[in-house]
Amino acid sequence: MFKEGLGETSKFSEYHPTVNLIYFVFVIGITMFATSPAFLAVTFFCAWFYSVLLRGYKAIKMNIVFMLPIFAVMVFVNTFFNHNGETILFYLNRAPITKEALVFGMAAAIVLTSVIIWFMCFNVIMSADKFIYLFGRTAPILGLLLSMTFRFIKLLKVRFREISDGQKCLGKEGSRKILSRIRQLLKEVSILISWSLEASIETADSMEARGYGLKGRTFFHIYKFTGRDLQMMILILISGGISAAGCIMKEMTMYYYPVLDFPEESWLTAVMLTFYGILLLLPAISDIYGELKWERLNSEM
Amino acid sequence: MGTVEFRNVSFKYPLSEKEALKEVSLKIDASEFVVVCGKSGCGKTTLLRQLKKNLMPYGRLEGEVLYDGENPSDTDDRKNAAEIGFVRQDPDNQIVTDKVWHELAFGLESLGLDNSTIKRRVAETASFFDIQTWFRKNTDELSGGQKQMVNLASVMVMQPKLLILDEPTAQLDPIAASEFLRTIHRINREIGTTVILSEHRLEEAFVMADRVVVMEEGKILCDDVPTKVGTYLSGDPRNDMFLGLPSVMKIFNEIEPSGESPLTMREGRIWLESFLKDRVIPERMKKELPPEIRRQEQAKDRRESRKDEQGAGKDKNDEQGAGKDKNDEQGTGKDTDKSKKHGLYTIEAKDLWFRYSKKEQDVLRGTNLRVPKGQWLSILGGNGTGKSTLLKALCGVIKPSRGNVKTGGRISMLPQDPRTLFTEITAEEELQEALSDKKESDKEKAEKTEKMICLMELQEIRKMHPYDLSGGEQQRLALGKVLLTEPSIILLDEPTKGLDAFFKRTLAEIFMKLTEEGMTIVMVSHDMEFCAEYSYCCAMFFDGEVVSADVPEDFFSGNNFYTTVSNRIAGKWFPKAVTYQEVAGCVKAMM
Repeated sequence: MFKEGLGETSKFSEYHPTVNLIYFVFVIGITMFATSPAFLAVTFFCAWFYSVLLRGYKAIKMNIVFMLPIFAVMVFVNTFFNHNGETILFYLNRAPITKEALVFGMAAAIVLTSVIIWFMCFNVIMSADKFIYLFGRTAPILGLLLSMTFRFIKLLKVRFREISDGQKCLGKEGSRKILSRIRQLLKEVSILISWSLEASIETADSMEARGYGLKGRTFFHIYKFTGRDLQMMILILISGGISAAGCIMKEMTMYYYPVLDFPEESWLTAVMLTFYGILLLLPAISDIYGELKWERLNSEM
Repeated sequence: MGTVEFRNVSFKYPLSEKEALKEVSLKIDASEFVVVCGKSGCGKTTLLRQLKKNLMPYGRLEGEVLYDGENPSDTDDRKNAAEIGFVRQDPDNQIVTDKVWHELAFGLESLGLDNSTIKRRVAETASFFDIQTWFRKNTDELSGGQKQMVNLASVMVMQPKLLILDEPTAQLDPIAASEFLRTIHRINREIGTTVILSEHRLEEAFVMADRVVVMEEGKILCDDVPTKVGTYLSGDPRNDMFLGLPSVMKIFNEIEPSGESPLTMREGRIWLESFLKDRVIPERMKKELPPEIRRQEQAKDRRESRKDEQGAGKDKNDEQGAGKDKNDEQGTGKDTDKSKKHGLYTIEAKDLWFRYSKKEQDVLRGTNLRVPKGQWLSILGGNGTGKSTLLKALCGVIKPSRGNVKTGGRISMLPQDPRTLFTEITAEEELQEALSDKKESDKEKAEKTEKMICLMELQEIRKMHPYDLSGGEQQRLALGKVLLTEPSIILLDEPTKGLDAFFKRTLAEIFMKLTEEGMTIVMVSHDMEFCAEYSYCCAMFFDGEVVSADVPEDFFSGNNFYTTVSNRIAGKWFPKAVTYQEVAGCVKAMM
């Protein structure tokens, strides 16, 4: 079950879109500001863990592909172009290269990759439908517009394929010369545009025929906010709220300049770290629990 | 509620000299099922559009149009949107949103209903239309038939009193089309919605209709119960629309030019039974048709003589395996046993294998096909069996994973949707564009274009924009464009989709002319009536292979389920008669 990743079958994605959205607002928001090493480590680890859970082995490859260049660039740029910090390692062309700049580069790279990996998870969980729902709640037209856009993009792809097959049927597209290939491509695009414009007139007719433009449009959705959603919401709000408070109170912050100032270990930090950990692992726990339960029910049958 | 009345309605489009509607008077009662038929461009669409506020064509209207006793353009927007449902031809263009459930809710959202009301209405509608299993799907994953069903359901969810359908099945395959028509019938019978349906596929629509309105050049030609319409159209001189009648009616009216015709196949069989009761059918009639009515006699003669000239035909020693004989020969070998040389087929496909992606099943499984020059081969078969894939493999749009295709000459394909070919702003320029990369003088090109315009009978529409043409005209223009690339083999994917019966005959005549000039035609179609009547050879595609191929009368008479309506009606008495003329001819020969 974990080889391919849970993808859209994830239990967490079955929660109400508002729950999903609030969760990611908390996680990504806090991840961006939590700079102290323990918090960095926790979010980095959890992001990796959840992304692999959701997307399977593919995620490992993708994460590394994103991570390596970010690490390389950020560490390099910060070390060689930022000369803050007091612990000088060596001089390069009379410019001081400091330990603080090097460490800060690494920390910033970890923050950035964590945020990116969390966004990848966000992408899996927040399907187009959920987006449309969230927008539609605020403004019905916006929701409809998004829904139509998603349809239109797919329609364009299908049509372009049909056009290019049609042109191949005519025996065009045979030439290898770049110029004639470009000309052929432009022709296909122009067919696509005129076809789509023509089609959208009919779509507009069909919308109007079904009362589009009447006053007082509502927005229909198929999501229910249930007790389960409420439970999860409360869990997220408690753990997220406490973590956010800690973030605002600078419990999660570390100063890198002028010298590395490791935060003192206190019981408050430990509490914050625990709640932050809970927040980050909530979806993974609910997914794994759901998966195990399913296996159990299945084997009983 | 849901009554419609046209009182002396005439309509003229701006810049047009002809009137699109001429003094049309028509009254439709509540809960009636009325079928409007007529050749393409006879004014059906113009008539239907008068009732829907936002679709009313722009032009000069005389007379009165009344919906529930009131002019539709004066009705309240909300009422007009909810009470009059309109479904059009193209399944894709009418869908607005990306999800089936959202599409169903669209109209109710516009009316401003709250979530729980919408949910209830959507739920009951989805159940009625049997949509629940694909309720959460994306609209682009659906088949054409499903898309059109969604369009119908998303109109019906608003609980209209009047349902107007403008050639709703033109883009569907026959199975999806008859399911769609059955659903409309159910709506009319069970819910009592008034239905006005314009349709080319009359075989099924006639059985359902309370009344049939036949239109010609903007006028109402006749307006009567279905059983009498046939009699009217078969009068002398025979109306062009006669070709579009259900086979039962055509057979009946060929034999008995007056009286009420049977409507369903069952009624037809009962009528024939009583008609032939006391007559003994000679054994000879069971084996072959009487010589005087053998169809395409001339065409066949021409074909055979050409075959002799070119020496193409059957080569008994050339089989790739026992039992493949018929597959390979495509039926042309039946009538000649002269030993012929190799390489006389214009298409030779050997052992083709293909699948679209690794995880899917093979669509082509060792397909073999050989087609001699000048052949017109129709490939029939169920939906999604891979017929279109076979055509794509033949013309090289897809590369088979195994096997190869040898073709003797340039090969071109007419895609299902002619719009994929149109780039220019007039029909004439469209044809010239096909010649754009040829190294010929402008004069030669102009001559060729002119010849093509004559061949395809495009003279009257040469200056029109391709998108303004009707379906049949677009088809002709696209065919002309394909032919200008000078292929010696032409592949056609469902060329009769959405065409009226009269134009189908014109198309068949064009094809015959082309094969006489040595062109080879391979066509994929669901339209059994068309294939049986006109093509030279029919083949069945099943499970990735061409499983049987024969001349139409032998091909269809060997089938029990998969055969023409005429053959199903009269197969018991005249197994070799597959078209309505043949059945009627056989019966006449008995008299």
